[in-house]
Amino acid sequence: MAGLILALGLGVVLVRRRSLAIALVSAQSLALGIMALDHAAVAAVVLAVKAVALPALLVAVVRRTREPRLVAAAAGPLVRLAGAAAAAGLAAALVPPDVRGGAAVVVTGLAIVVARRPILFQLLGVIVAENGLSLLALSVPGGLSYVIELGALLDLALVVVVASFFARRIHLELGTGDTELLRGLRD
Amino acid sequence: MTELAIAVPPLALAAGVLACLGRTPRQSDRLNVAGALVTAAAAAVLAVAALTGEEVHTRWLEIDAASGVFVAVIAAVGLCSALVSPAFLRTGGRSWFTAARSRHAYYAALYAFWAALFIVPLAGNLAIVWLVVEGTTGASALLVAFSGRREALEAGWKYLVLTTLGLAVALLGIVILSIEQADGGLHALGWRALANAPLDPGTTLVAFVLIIAGLATKIGWAPVHNWLPDAHSEAPAPISALLSAALLPTVALVAWRVKDTLAAAAGPGAAGALFIGFGLASIAVAIPFLWRPLPYKRLLAYSSLEHMGVIALGIGFGTSLAIAGVLLHVAGHALAKALGFYAALPLLRADPSAAKQPLRGVGRGSTATAIGVALFALAGLPPSPLFASELLIALGGVDAGEPVVVGVAVVLLALGFLGLLHAFVEGVLPAPRRRSRPHRGSRQVIVLTSALSVGLLALTVAAAWLPGSALVEGLL
Repeated sequence: MAGLILALGLGVVLVRRRSLAIALVSAQSLALGIMALDHAAVAAVVLAVKAVALPALLVAVVRRTREPRLVAAAAGPLVRLAGAAAAAGLAAALVPPDVRGGAAVVVTGLAIVVARRPILFQLLGVIVAENGLSLLALSVPGGLSYVIELGALLDLALVVVVASFFARRIHLELGTGDTELLRGLRD
Repeated sequence: MTELAIAVPPLALAAGVLACLGRTPRQSDRLNVAGALVTAAAAAVLAVAALTGEEVHTRWLEIDAASGVFVAVIAAVGLCSALVSPAFLRTGGRSWFTAARSRHAYYAALYAFWAALFIVPLAGNLAIVWLVVEGTTGASALLVAFSGRREALEAGWKYLVLTTLGLAVALLGIVILSIEQADGGLHALGWRALANAPLDPGTTLVAFVLIIAGLATKIGWAPVHNWLPDAHSEAPAPISALLSAALLPTVALVAWRVKDTLAAAAGPGAAGALFIGFGLASIAVAIPFLWRPLPYKRLLAYSSLEHMGVIALGIGFGTSLAIAGVLLHVAGHALAKALGFYAALPLLRADPSAAKQPLRGVGRGSTATAIGVALFALAGLPPSPLFASELLIALGGVDAGEPVVVGVAVVLLALGFLGLLHAFVEGVLPAPRRRSRPHRGSRQVIVLTSALSVGLLALTVAAAWLPGSALVEGLL
């Protein structure tokens, strides 16, 4: 299951369409919810928030921020994929064996933020990184208190809601969600 | 004291709700002032109790002298920011919210941010502290981008994404730490429980590095400081003051507590070296920018980077003198930096081009006085308490057997001093580009300059008493 979750994260590095990327992250969250089925209450909350509510919010953002054309990619898809996979592999090599899968998914989230220019993809990178932490908590016996897991989920939901406001406002201001245009502040 | 510690953050939230109940802008502003005064008064009582030796160490609360200093700083800066906010809202121009919602959105986010800041130095559990620090991100990002201008949106977005990712890395370290313990429950991550737990040195070191590197993005330590100059320069001035004078040092306190708790298992040498590395990198990156002709608020932002570097050095040295220096530096920097940002309100009102251009003449009025006091205090010119705190940290570094690090830091700080002096001579002394009449905001700056200058001088006096005091020794 950890391999599937990592592969879905790497898929977000690769795909061009925002709606497809949201579907991949939703599927990743669904897989996490299934992993947490032993703990029904936690699984239910994870599924409700990460696999349903947040993707629904992001789909609404996509509908309200139509791009006039596809945002040009910073690098080719295979280059992006190779870079993200290399970073994930390096992270896995540097941490204790128990936490390799989770660390690789966290770093995949960071790689998505670095490699993808559209605002929505950067937001998905944040969710993928948080999914990596959830994977860690689930894959190790007694990994993390449910209070912390649910607290982190609440924080993530708050960040995604605020980021959705930003995505709409930035689109309104720039006419696109290309973060390449958010580079005016330099010294 | 426990009851008061539990009451202060909800009191701040209640003050926010109160300010949002106002039906007119004037009503909201008045309720804001009343709520801020009550919250700050309660926090001041709590801070005094903590500073006079009362301690609480439970599963949920960790109140010591450091909590006292930080609660006092958060209360003072939060109160001043709340008091100057009506002046900002009256004249601050456009907002990304509609006119009807703008004030309520601002006060709701401001007080949520303030309440979260109060929890951090009082909480007795690393995981709870992480949740609260992450919780500050949403409210503060909205405040950074409050104007809705393109640059503010860019700064807010960078802040939101970079600090969230940094904190994800810190949570990775916390999870590794939790896994390392036989009882991986919430209470195993209490400060006291962690300090007494039998931890594996290798795994603890990995967790320690991840937690500190993650927190460094929120503190704004170089090289993960990219959001800091943008957010500080684009946020409304009262929010810039809260970010620089309260948020950054408060998260640095979390890093300090992590070091105190885990250094024995991770290796005291490696733990100290990580802080010293972040400290020197931050000072070295900041200094060249203090020499460049930057817009005023951006200059203050790079000064924050420099001062967070000084605090990192003091924590890294960890000796009695250095810790005395850190406490003094946190308080002195907070007052001087907050004053610097409040002075930006009348400055930008009189000359909006100062938001994008370097200072070119402020004249001799109240704004120039406030900027002068702030810049000289931040530069560490005696009688600034920052001169005393930097001296204490340097002596603490020598005590810790780090004379080379101290030598490099002193040279860099001397260059920083000259950079800010240069900014004052070039930017403040010449005659202003345009004349403006004094107004209410300027009178407010006169009062704040007087009050904060008295506070700075009081801290300088305290510097003579602080080293070797029970307050500092209790933190070693």
